[in-house]
Amino acid sequence: MVQINEKIGMTIEPYIFGVEKGKFRELALAIGDEKEEYLSGELAPPTFPTIIEFQGSVFSFSDFLNVRDDQLLHGEQEYHYFSKFKHGDSITVTGIVENAYKKKSKNFFVIKREFRNQYNEIIAVSRTTIIELIQEELK
Amino acid sequence: MRDTVVLEPVQKPSITHTQIVRYAGAAGDFHPLHTVVPFAEQTIFKGVIAHGMMIKGYIGQAIGHWFDVENLIYFKTRFQAITRPGEKITIFGKIEEETLELWNCSAQAVNEEGEVKASAEFNIKKC
Repeated sequence: MVQINEKIGMTIEPYIFGVEKGKFRELALAIGDEKEEYLSGELAPPTFPTIIEFQGSVFSFSDFLNVRDDQLLHGEQEYHYFSKFKHGDSITVTGIVENAYKKKSKNFFVIKREFRNQYNEIIAVSRTTIIELIQEELK
Repeated sequence: MRDTVVLEPVQKPSITHTQIVRYAGAAGDFHPLHTVVPFAEQTIFKGVIAHGMMIKGYIGQAIGHWFDVENLIYFKTRFQAITRPGEKITIFGKIEEETLELWNCSAQAVNEEGEVKASAEFNIKKC
C-alpha cells in the first residue's frame, strides 16, 4: 500500500490560462457580487484563482491523487495576492503537493499553486486542502 | 492595540439550485454532487449541495463591501459545513487587530440557525 506521505512533492503538469474580463463578470454574477469593477472587467473577484484552476486544465484531484471522486471534500482554500489578474494576461499555473497526512481517519492533501503572468511576475499563490474520507465513513 | 471592530453583516438571499448550477458554469466545476439531483440524492449528502467556493465567494463579496478589495493580500477559508438550496447565508466580520501596515480580520458565513458554514481570515493592507 502506498504511504500517503509519498504523495508529497508530486507536481501538477503546468498549464496556461488566458485571462478574459468576461470571466470576472461571469463569476461575479454567479456569486451575486455585482461590484462595478468586476462587471466591467477591471478587477477579478477574490476567488478568481480557483476559476483558473478548474477552467485552465482538465486536471482532476481524484485522478491526480488516485482516489475516488466521491470521497473528496474541499477542506480549506487560501490565497496570497501579490498583483492583479488583468484581461489579456497569459497565466502559467504550476502546482505541487506541499503536504499529505492522515488525521482522525481522514487523509489531507495540501496543493500549492503559483500563478505567474507572461512576464514571469507572480500574481497569486493558492493552497487547496483536499480531504479524502475513508470508506467506513461513507456507509 | 485597539479593541476588535465589528463589521456590518452582509446578508445573501436564499440559495437556489439554479444559482448553484450557474456557479458551476462560472467556476467550471460541474461535479454532479452540485448539479444533478438524482446523483446527489444517492450520496452521503442526500441531495445537492453548494460549492464551498461559492460560500467563499460570498465572504469575498463581504470583504469588498467592507474594504477596497485591491488592498486584499491574504484570504484563507476553512469549510466547516455543507450548504443546501433554501439556506440563507449571512457574512459576519471583525477587524481582529490593527497594525501599522495591516488590518487582520476574520469572517464567518452563517445560516439562519447559526450554523457556521465557513470561517475566514483575511488581511487588508493599508495604503
